[in-house]
Amino acid sequence: MAGETVLLVDDDEVFQEAVAVVLGTRYRVVTASNGTEGLARVAQERPDVIILDVMMDHLSEGFDVAGRLRTDPETSSIPIIMLTGVDQVYNLRMEVDEAWVPCDRYLEKPISPQDLLDQVDELLTAAVR
Amino acid sequence: MIEPRFSDIFGPELAERLRWFSALRWIAVAGLAVTSLAGPRVGLASVWPSLFVVSVLVAASNLAVLGALRRSERGEVPYANMRASAIAQMVMDLFALTVCVHFTGGLTSPLLPFYAFHMAIGTIMIKTSLMYGMASITSLGVLVLYLLEGGGVLPAHPLRADWPAEGWLPGGFNMAVMPIALFGIVYLTDSVTSRFKERSIELHQTSEQVRQRGAELARLLAEKEELERRKSHYMRISAHQLRSPLGTIKTSLQVLLDGYLDPGSERGRKLLAGAADRVGDLLLIVNDLLELAKMREGRSKAPWTRQVYINQVLADIFDAQEPFASERKVSLVPDIQGVAKLEWGVPPDLVYAFENLVHNAIKYSKPDGGTVTVSLRVADDVARVEVTDHGIGIPDDVVDTVFLEFVRAPNAKQHVREGTGLGLSIVDEAIRMHGGRVTVVSVEGEGSTFTVSLPLHFVPPEVARSGLVVEPTR
Repeated sequence: MAGETVLLVDDDEVFQEAVAVVLGTRYRVVTASNGTEGLARVAQERPDVIILDVMMDHLSEGFDVAGRLRTDPETSSIPIIMLTGVDQVYNLRMEVDEAWVPCDRYLEKPISPQDLLDQVDELLTAAVR
Repeated sequence: MIEPRFSDIFGPELAERLRWFSALRWIAVAGLAVTSLAGPRVGLASVWPSLFVVSVLVAASNLAVLGALRRSERGEVPYANMRASAIAQMVMDLFALTVCVHFTGGLTSPLLPFYAFHMAIGTIMIKTSLMYGMASITSLGVLVLYLLEGGGVLPAHPLRADWPAEGWLPGGFNMAVMPIALFGIVYLTDSVTSRFKERSIELHQTSEQVRQRGAELARLLAEKEELERRKSHYMRISAHQLRSPLGTIKTSLQVLLDGYLDPGSERGRKLLAGAADRVGDLLLIVNDLLELAKMREGRSKAPWTRQVYINQVLADIFDAQEPFASERKVSLVPDIQGVAKLEWGVPPDLVYAFENLVHNAIKYSKPDGGTVTVSLRVADDVARVEVTDHGIGIPDDVVDTVFLEFVRAPNAKQHVREGTGLGLSIVDEAIRMHGGRVTVVSVEGEGSTFTVSLPLHFVPPEVARSGLVVEPTR
């Protein structure tokens, strides 16, 4: 399953590179450094999985991007992994609104490479089925 | 503290006493009416209809008093008017009593003790000095009555018609005792109640103080809570800012450790160099956090120095920033008018603040260079320094928050990646500590002007408190 494309949206290019190394062992990796660029890449590349950092230029930019992807029928079925340090924000919003799930998984930074690969694999397998 | 006015304390109390007095007056009205109606049956011929007429008049005046009191409850009657009305009532009551005394045996009337009654009540309600006057007038009035009746000018009305008209003597004894009794009652009542009046004023002042202290405490508490909230917010944001590069460092090292990439390969070395960059970021943040903490906590230990020349501070900064400016093709333009001498200042902190503003102005100038103007004006004992650039500017939605910790505009991050978002917080802190203010006006894409106002004669509280004086070195 080497043909799948994973989009990574994160404003830290060193982190981008580290994750690209790991994912590059199995998938084609495309990167973007902010929300706007991320949305453009989604349209261009039609990724199979999207990995989104929550906090970029704005405090919850990742959530905003995920929300837009989820409400657009073209992109609503693409699995999203959210990367975050601000897990409290996520939990709080889940408490307020249980139906609010802008992503399929979420991982806290720093991430374990193996864990990341497993999560992406699982999401892709589920999507195939 | 504002001294309470007598009327503030006694206004409500006077109204209350007048109400009470007016209630007592109804008893007098009833007593007079009953005596007047029943009197003739027990031989008191002269009480009808004289006392009845008096009772009707007293009742009418009492109704008027109650009407006035109701208006005063709505705050329509000033204290002075209420006091005047109390005096007028007292005079009318005493006159009515004297009429009644005349018709119930003159100076042998059983109603005489009621004068004492009025003196006591008057002393409680009205000023004591006025009541001594009232006692004098009453004594004089009674003396006149006694003389007129005794001299046959007024017909004497013995209590019972069949009792002989009294001569000079029995009434004369009463007359002699009368002034002593009246003055004595006023004096005794005053000596008892004046203590209460003083206490009442003290109590009012104390409760006012307590109220003010309470309000002050509540304000301090709210301030403290706000401070605590900001502190905890600041700590959370600080921790998050440290966590972000740490996350990258840890992830990068894990990727190398787990063998996804050979550390010796070119890509591996690049990733290691990136991780080292993030360690550098961490150090910058930690250094700035320490600087900010030092400034916030260490104010009392700050090296406050006398006579700090802002001109000198700016000149030093021009020298120091010139290489950076030419590297960025920016021309630094000084526009200095006047001499700004601060009575007290902490030179390193002022240098930090102005250097930071000038450095930022150069850093955020556009890639093709431009000018950065630093102007100094002195007016009304305030030094105004403006640092103006024609750089990338600050977006509207961030401009109000740039002085908060860790706030960096997205266009600033794109322009220069490095930056902790703490520099302007430190500038703000340094200027505030000198009793000044720093503000910014900016248009995205066109440039920014940071304005610092510093009062020349600011004396830091810690210097004022300790009396500590550091003599100027130059």
